[in-house]
Amino acid sequence: MKTDARSEAPLVRYYCTAGGGMERFLLDEVKVKLAAEDMPGKVLFSSSVGINTVSELRAAERLFLLLKQDLPVQLSANTNPAKAASVLRSRVLGDKTLWTSAVMTWNHLQGELEGRRTSVNPPNPALGVTMKRDEGRIEEQRGEEEEKHNEENKSKRETAQRGETLKGETCGAEAQILEKKRKRDSEGKESNSGKNAKKPRSPEKERKRQYKEDDEEGRRKVMEFNGCGQSGKSAMKPDTDLCSRGSVCLIAEEDHNLKRSGMKMDDMAKDFAVKNVECVETTGGGDKTLLQPSRIKPEPFSPDPVSFRISCKCTGSLSRYFNTQEVSRVIGVGLSKLLGWKIDLKNPQLEVNVNLSDDHCLLGIPLTRLPLAHRSYMKTTGLRSTVAWAMASLAQIQPGFCVVDPMCGVGTILIEAAQEHKASHFLGMDIDDGQLRKANENVEFAVLGNRIHLLKASSMMLPLPSASVDVVVCDLPFGRKFGTKTTTAANLPLILTEMERILCIGGTLVLLLSPQLSCLLKKLLEQKASGPTSNQESKPQTGIRDGPSPSPSRSKQQAFQILQRVKSPPTQKTDPPSVLQHCLPPPLSSLKHQATLRVCLGAIDGLIHKYVKTET
Amino acid sequence: MKLLTHNMLTSHVKGVTKGYPLLIKATEVKVNEVDFNPQFVTRMIPKLEWSALVHAAEELGQRQDLPDELVPEYENNEEFLKKVHRVLLEVEVIEGCLRCPESGREFPISRGIPNMLLNEDEV
Repeated sequence: MKTDARSEAPLVRYYCTAGGGMERFLLDEVKVKLAAEDMPGKVLFSSSVGINTVSELRAAERLFLLLKQDLPVQLSANTNPAKAASVLRSRVLGDKTLWTSAVMTWNHLQGELEGRRTSVNPPNPALGVTMKRDEGRIEEQRGEEEEKHNEENKSKRETAQRGETLKGETCGAEAQILEKKRKRDSEGKESNSGKNAKKPRSPEKERKRQYKEDDEEGRRKVMEFNGCGQSGKSAMKPDTDLCSRGSVCLIAEEDHNLKRSGMKMDDMAKDFAVKNVECVETTGGGDKTLLQPSRIKPEPFSPDPVSFRISCKCTGSLSRYFNTQEVSRVIGVGLSKLLGWKIDLKNPQLEVNVNLSDDHCLLGIPLTRLPLAHRSYMKTTGLRSTVAWAMASLAQIQPGFCVVDPMCGVGTILIEAAQEHKASHFLGMDIDDGQLRKANENVEFAVLGNRIHLLKASSMMLPLPSASVDVVVCDLPFGRKFGTKTTTAANLPLILTEMERILCIGGTLVLLLSPQLSCLLKKLLEQKASGPTSNQESKPQTGIRDGPSPSPSRSKQQAFQILQRVKSPPTQKTDPPSVLQHCLPPPLSSLKHQATLRVCLGAIDGLIHKYVKTET
Repeated sequence: MKLLTHNMLTSHVKGVTKGYPLLIKATEVKVNEVDFNPQFVTRMIPKLEWSALVHAAEELGQRQDLPDELVPEYENNEEFLKKVHRVLLEVEVIEGCLRCPESGREFPISRGIPNMLLNEDEV
């Protein structure tokens, strides 16, 4: 077994979040790649392979250092609020050493990740600007911190700074916070000597004050405490659509918004940058920062003050007592008191993710600045990269395979597949020049031009010989992004016929469909398979002919009608029986269904269908 | 368009029974050096229509000494694999067109991407 150079903790406990429906893929991936144990829900695992290997997981949304995994926090029915808060605090916080050692591990892993970081360029110029701006500030701050580190009893200073931070928070408005922070930075120096007077004012008091102010200012302001500001709201809303299982954390969703919604893109990107800037800095600053963890190590009980924020998700019975913001506050203040860490909502060094539900109590610290789902090799994103990867993994691509995506878009699936399969040939087709151009850029950017080739063609008339490819993968266009829902539905029989035609016997077909298209496809294949007449396939409209007889149900009738509408135009065109190759498509019944898996695509779910072509 | 892709392409114009291989009329050909991946080439060779590849390379003046017949036990013949690698992946048609051998229909290649789209009356 490979182990880290690190002696004190060779085995690191991690967990990853996964998009809805992606857990099984991630679980399989973790098992295969890391030979790790698994647990349901989020994927939790221990591994002693390097963090850089762990962060190569493709099916995961985000990667966390597991801080604590515990039984769910349960409160008896008539607990008063104060008692409830104290129970929550003691249960969640636990032992001090847990936190200090977790931060040490985290710091160490950040150091290991550093090399990798530098290659991850911020995709958005705004992001770069934000980072630059913050860099200076943080640099300055750290400079001060180090200075003081040598001079003075740290805990005093921390308390003073914490006071400042809390004051800033309670002010509510973002601008004010920022101003306070700037002020804090300059006041930091004074705090060496002058601000010790603040020490007696306990965080407990601060908290009370905050409660009061919150009451006055209303819940909107409380959101600020949650550290997400505006995005906190937007990030929490899609929660319900995004993940039926409720296991995706806030961050995963933010990433999601970032990619999917163009409108929010800028805001989110900025927020993301701000949120993560500190993480970059702790590792990105070169030797100086890398020294920090090692400096901590000899004296684990008096580490440099850690700035943090709580990112919380609370569901189940506990949410009857507290809302998310209250939980964040209780834990945040408690942690600050326990360890002398300082709360920093805008630019914390680390973020503590707290997941409380009826099933578990899970605490973790995100390990990477960008979600694992973000691909550094992708220029333009189309389909969610994790889902694309999952489709490629389902296709079971082998060396020497020829893999075709007849509607490749920007090439996401092919790129995800080609990253993993170095000895296979990938052919992407699309009918749209714009998409092909982007796909071409993506392929070049990912340096996969050897193995991924592109051409312009219609999915209804693939320019390939029959039985010539091993795998067909395709994300069929659907949803709001494409105004072609009806077109795809109408063309589905022809598209499928072509896919089947080019597949060799034993070849695999993996499709991503909307729920509607999924139903349609199922019916289409049922009809094709039903009754001996359909196997005859003397004419393409066989499906229509035996449609009504086997099932008189209304839904079937509807599907049948769609089919009929769809089928008629091509039938007329290819009517002369001389065109053997095309008017006699191989029977779709040769496609044997293997699996249907539901994955979350954001606003809607998608269904991955897998078929294998068999001899008929 | 690389010749590996060309080796697969077929014309499906209405009425055509043998739309393969497509003839290449190139106006711009580029030869880029590409990392040699022997495993990839070895795996691709059994899938190739060898004569079509040789013919295509010939048309582009890039055949060099590529043999008419696939050599036996090419797996361990690095020199041969490199030749195939060059023809399959390094030679690229940037501008030009592909011509259906039966119908004469021409498919334009622009910026390296062949346009195999057919008009409605051709399918």
